Amino acid sequence: MSIHVSGETASHDVTNPHSNAVSPEVAAAAAAAGCPFHAASVLPTDGTPTHPSPRFAEWRETGPALPLDYNDGHRGLVVTQYDLARAVLEDPRFSMRPDRMPLSDTAPLHESPPEAAPEPELDDNAREALDTASVLFLDGDQHLRLRRSITGRFSAKSMRDRRAIVKQIVARQVEHVLAHGAPIDLFTEYARPIAAANHCDVLGIPAELADEFRAKFEGVATTRDRMDYVRRVVDARATDLGENTISDLLRSDLSRNEVDGLVMTLMSSGRDSVAYMISTSMVALLTNPEQLAKLRDDPSLIQGAVEEFMRYGTMFLTVFRRTATEDVTILGVDIPNGTSVSVSTVSANRDDRHWEDPATFDVTRDAFGHVGFGHGAHGCVGQQLARVEISEAITQLLAAIPDVRLEEAEQLSPLPFAHPVATYEAGAVVVAWG
Amino acid sequence: MQITVNTSACVGAGQCVMTAEDLFDQDDDGIVMLLDDSPDSSHEAGARRAASLCPARAIKVTD
Repeated sequence: MSIHVSGETASHDVTNPHSNAVSPEVAAAAAAAGCPFHAASVLPTDGTPTHPSPRFAEWRETGPALPLDYNDGHRGLVVTQYDLARAVLEDPRFSMRPDRMPLSDTAPLHESPPEAAPEPELDDNAREALDTASVLFLDGDQHLRLRRSITGRFSAKSMRDRRAIVKQIVARQVEHVLAHGAPIDLFTEYARPIAAANHCDVLGIPAELADEFRAKFEGVATTRDRMDYVRRVVDARATDLGENTISDLLRSDLSRNEVDGLVMTLMSSGRDSVAYMISTSMVALLTNPEQLAKLRDDPSLIQGAVEEFMRYGTMFLTVFRRTATEDVTILGVDIPNGTSVSVSTVSANRDDRHWEDPATFDVTRDAFGHVGFGHGAHGCVGQQLARVEISEAITQLLAAIPDVRLEEAEQLSPLPFAHPVATYEAGAVVVAWG
Repeated sequence: MQITVNTSACVGAGQCVMTAEDLFDQDDDGIVMLLDDSPDSSHEAGARRAASLCPARAIKVTD
């Protein structure tokens, strides 16, 4: 489900007396960030995953942080440069809590929910589950306690065993692609099924409930529907504990509501982004055939190549916004207490202050240290699994179809951003061979 | 060279294991485990890189 945010509808009239968009403090922060106050901005919609809007390069030249207008009318900052992006993401003075956000009852510009039917009421347990265990909206020790209940299952160490399972899932999907024949859309027929199957396996969704997982979380469903499904999955798993995340949570000291809330977040996260990355990595390779040839001829390059996929094809224009909880001076930028801050990972990963020739896609470059998985305490908890999935999906596809070629990729033209933070969509990636 | 890790700050992202597998691993809960707290100088670049990339700044390298 997607929404389109156009520059026109997003622009905000700063002279509107009913608006509280402009606080003097934020204006001062904008000035301190080296930016004229009138250069307030909205996220550019004219970019694609492999060719982000040229506006980002202009913004980086203007300053490390610039004003950003949110669609509830308040003004915050967007971080454009690599060093400041990392510094903000690892600084505990920036809060993820929605109750720290100005005007938090309304969505910011690039975090608008899609138009949907009114949500049915949640029961008290469901509300508590979402309130206490939405890891993306908690800080400090409260966040770390929940995060640590799942880090073991997603560690680099766990991946040594899990790689065999991922290999098998990918091999099965390669067989499907070959049986289907060309032309084929890699996003729906290859990337998405791989991501969904891996998600089901690592979480521990029982096989008989797996189809419903895709229907509920890839398709449109209300929060209540999804929560009902989460409870059925956790109930089923409770009678059959195994080597998977939901079993880990049930064996831990978390309350049942906390388990349900965490499982809800885990089911909602990571699956689409892995499918996006597999698709976008293939687009990057197919539009840079000499890079594809390098990787196909020397599969040992894949580990470094995955880092370059993440840097070059970054999905999140901005990650979930933070709020400054005190007056912060960071790398020379003054950010007043209460300011909303959105870090642009797309922009940071193309910053030529850090990356040599950042617009060039090079599978042999050292791209480690990119912020494609975010960074800091809230950096992607599933990043090691994502790396294994992407690396297996690309390696096995190139080995099975060495002459794969691109017929059409929707993402080569700008697509509407995906919800709930501004992310690129993968779109259909149609390939052929033979 | 001396390496110390702060296990209570660690967020289990596994960057250190990716950067310097001979110096760092993760325990069953995903928390950093130091394999060698005073490696020889051939490991210095890896150790410093792991420290600079750690998302929780949980790794310190001193001379």
